[in-house]
Amino acid sequence: MDWLDAHLIPALDGVAYGMLLFVVAAGLTLAFGSGGVLNLAHGTVYAMGAYIAADIGDGSWGMLVLALAVGAAAGATSGGVLAVAVAPVARRGHLDQALLTFGIALVGGDMLVSYFGADQRQVAVPKALEDSVTIAGHQYPTYRLAFIGVAALLAGLGYWLLVRSTAGAAVRATTDDPEMVAALGLSPRVVHTATLVVAGALAGGAGVLGAPIITPSPETADTVMLWSLIIVVVGRLGSVLGALFAAIAVGEVQTLGVVLAPDLAPYLLFGAMGIALLVRSGSGILPEFAARARVLATRARALKGGGA
Amino acid sequence: MNTRLSAVIAMSSRYGTVARRAALAVVVVWLLVLPQLVDTYTLVLATQALVFGLLAVGVGVLTGHAGLATMGQVAPYAVGAYTTAWLTRHDITAGLLQLPAAALAGALFAAVTGIVVIRARGVVALMLTLAVGELTATAAVQWKEFTGGSDGVSTPPARIFPGGAELFDDQDIYLYVLVVALVVAGITALVLRSPAGLLLAGVRDNEDRMRAAGHPVDRYLLLTYTGAGAISGISGALLMTYARYVSPQDVGFDISALALLAVVIGGVRSTAGAFAGAGLIVFTRDKLGNWWPGHAPLFLGILFLIAVYLLPNGAAGVAQQLRSLADRMGLRVPGLVPRTPAAAGAGDGTVPASGAPVPEEADAR
Amino acid sequence: MSLIRRTRRRAAASIVLAAALVATAACSKDSGSNNDTVKLGLLVPLSGVYKSIGEDMKRGFELYVEQHNNKFGGHKIEVVVADEGEAPGVSLSAATKLVKQDKVAAVVGVSSGAAVAAITPMLADNRVPLIGSGGRPNLQNIDRVWNTSWMSDETGAAIAKYVKDTVNGPVGIIGPDYQGGQDQIRGFTDTFVKAGGQVANSGGKPTFTPWPGTTNFLPYLSQIAQSGAKAVYTFYAGSAAVDFVKQYKQSDAKDIPLYAAGFLTEGATLAAEGDAARDIYSVLNYAPGLDNPANRNFVSAYNAKHKTQPNLYAMCSFDAGSVLDRAITAIDGKVTSEAINNAIRGLGQIDSPRGAWQFGANHSPVQKWYLRQVRPDGQVLSNVVVQELATLGS
Repeated sequence: MDWLDAHLIPALDGVAYGMLLFVVAAGLTLAFGSGGVLNLAHGTVYAMGAYIAADIGDGSWGMLVLALAVGAAAGATSGGVLAVAVAPVARRGHLDQALLTFGIALVGGDMLVSYFGADQRQVAVPKALEDSVTIAGHQYPTYRLAFIGVAALLAGLGYWLLVRSTAGAAVRATTDDPEMVAALGLSPRVVHTATLVVAGALAGGAGVLGAPIITPSPETADTVMLWSLIIVVVGRLGSVLGALFAAIAVGEVQTLGVVLAPDLAPYLLFGAMGIALLVRSGSGILPEFAARARVLATRARALKGGGA
Repeated sequence: MNTRLSAVIAMSSRYGTVARRAALAVVVVWLLVLPQLVDTYTLVLATQALVFGLLAVGVGVLTGHAGLATMGQVAPYAVGAYTTAWLTRHDITAGLLQLPAAALAGALFAAVTGIVVIRARGVVALMLTLAVGELTATAAVQWKEFTGGSDGVSTPPARIFPGGAELFDDQDIYLYVLVVALVVAGITALVLRSPAGLLLAGVRDNEDRMRAAGHPVDRYLLLTYTGAGAISGISGALLMTYARYVSPQDVGFDISALALLAVVIGGVRSTAGAFAGAGLIVFTRDKLGNWWPGHAPLFLGILFLIAVYLLPNGAAGVAQQLRSLADRMGLRVPGLVPRTPAAAGAGDGTVPASGAPVPEEADAR
Repeated sequence: MSLIRRTRRRAAASIVLAAALVATAACSKDSGSNNDTVKLGLLVPLSGVYKSIGEDMKRGFELYVEQHNNKFGGHKIEVVVADEGEAPGVSLSAATKLVKQDKVAAVVGVSSGAAVAAITPMLADNRVPLIGSGGRPNLQNIDRVWNTSWMSDETGAAIAKYVKDTVNGPVGIIGPDYQGGQDQIRGFTDTFVKAGGQVANSGGKPTFTPWPGTTNFLPYLSQIAQSGAKAVYTFYAGSAAVDFVKQYKQSDAKDIPLYAAGFLTEGATLAAEGDAARDIYSVLNYAPGLDNPANRNFVSAYNAKHKTQPNLYAMCSFDAGSVLDRAITAIDGKVTSEAINNAIRGLGQIDSPRGAWQFGANHSPVQKWYLRQVRPDGQVLSNVVVQELATLGS
């Protein structure tokens, strides 16, 4: 019981933190997974949203909603810019996209810091969300708890939109077979642009919502970019549920993981990612190792048997 | 990503080999006399660009030739650097001993990590190599006895031969680094042009057919990965020769990303292009960036944007633009005469630059 | 295949050639330095994670130079600014530029201890002194290294006895897992244990959080709360400090008194932490409210120019200007790097906003440390001095 009590908060926090990561990565999940654009400026768009939250938010609900609207609008605009910018290199593969979007990220990051300043920023949240609540005798930040709800809503909506709705079908079809979409009278280009605009709005909105947890600072963009890449790739490109599971796994690794295996803490994130990718790639190396181990074991048994 | 990369090559111009060799010779001579032409700091930057360029060569071998885009070449680079630091602190200061040791260490490291990495393709390979790089940097923070931890490790100057003079003067260091870089890059280029290089190109462009034909594809890739590790290990050794300092933050993923982008800027399959891309990045960050301290990232970002729009096929694409310009002006310069399309297109498996769609890769097998 | 490769190589070569010609044309002049003017290189982070601290350092140093009309001891001062960046290798490249291209007589600033470790061998080779106003690692050769700031292990050592005497019970200790952080935590832990203090963490050893990359401190805080700690001592700086403080106040540990190395609540981090930082006790060699003439002048001049209170980083760089001013004034003859270094060696007490101090044998200040608490000071939260703690340094 003590053990359970000691690990309850980290386990719960793993879920909440995973939900945060899911929301943080949502824009990239859509842009990369469904739009086919490896957007390395995703973290920068998130940071923009976070700075907007710090600038506009004053602790009232109204201003939080306003910040969310402004952040999402700014993110959507950046998504439109991205759509225009990648159009000429659309057929040149991910590496050229990486070069382009990384260039945008560097320029955008410089502009963000020049405009908003280099100082870490305070982010005011509504009073009701500011403190902590008591769960089974433990303190837990109210804002994070609320975040679980928001993220669940977003995941549900995303799943429904992408997998069940007509719009989602068009997006998926555009990725798979643009000619067919064009034959149906839809412009693949419009669908693609719309996908990137929505992805940008998600990234900007996530920045506004995540700002109270991940303080806006010059390093925010890099941190968020790395996390998002991990989640999107581990969760399989474009899969909403995959990204959700990957995000919660990463969240647990960084909370429950560091408590259970403190000595391995510095290695946990990338170690776990590596293992996840190996397991996931199916025909990968782990089954082969297992098979070889079985062969060795059989041989060893045979040798033993022969000796007896 | 591998098949995508082959499209980056696209259509190239058909210059004669005479012109190519003459240009290379001019560049080499220029590099050799550079100490007489520029100030000390620029020479130090040139040294830095050569070392970074050699790291990019390793990245290019994997990305352009083997079709494995990598974000993890800093790992064998770090292993080479720390091995060299360890040797120097144990009084093995001769470069001629350090270089093979660093190459061996980088190769061994790559051989072990490669078993895992070569199974993946595309974005998954990219993320796996990123993990290898980050885990190596983390190990460098933790393993203080060997690495000096997060504060890094400084070493005394190296020598070329055992018992020789210390490599202290910036000119001497530059020339030493230049010769090593040229030799390593030359050997790399020769190997890539040999039948072994052709096999590798076959794996990259049509892996299934190679497998069906009975080629041990995994073995080829592991060997290539190991070779790239050796190149990066040597690059790490040279880092210690000129900077005499390395820390975990100097072998982080941002260096990996820049090395990969250097290769993309230069043209993914060009050894000289890797150096050109690396040189552009170092020059932009450390020379142009000094005009407005604190805004080097802005200059780098602008460089990347310019490169992506104006050099659509990497540095190599410029040659094609020159050719079409020459054609339009009705020039028929000997050695600049384009080959006939039939001869040019036959058997090289490339697609025209006009941008015919290239099949999207699977992200993992 | 080979044809393509050949043409690509050829093409790339032509690029290299073109770039080479441009580069040669652009870089073929050595800049000399005027005899009457003394060039000083200011190396502070102006991009990346530590940019905020770098700007504070730059403001502090430039304020001193401006207040003295760009003249130290009758010599005109030219300040060349360079970006320390994030990685030590970048700092080394920038320092090399200051020394080899700008030919500065001395380098000032440098926030990160790792950057100091990276550049000092190069500076020693070129006999250029470093007047550091930031972190200071353990170095083998300190002949030309002078710090106006602090030694990493002194901060914690200064408050350890006070914590032991004030807190009735074991103390939880937590910090970031890099050399500077380990030194900070070790300084506290060693002195604290020697004074008879008890460490609350399991295993009796401080907890170190992975660095960089830890942004979620809740699991660690929940562990500390369970350890039965009666107080917590910590060291974090920058964004990690903001995350730590905000999460502390929302965790199981929220009612446990928090003691910290002053960096936790210094400069921009305090403003970002807001109310969550209230009541935190911290130890530092400076607070803007210190009551002495030098500090009153410093604070009012800084406030007039930047509309904000100065902090530790600005003060230490201000003092670096003071050290160089005194040294250059004391030089009889040509102002060279060597002469500056020798003159610094001969400096006595230095009047400073933090109170008078002087260089000790390890070329860092022998100075007073203060206990401060975050309290409202007018409209804003500030680090208010509670009492003097100890004079440290040797």
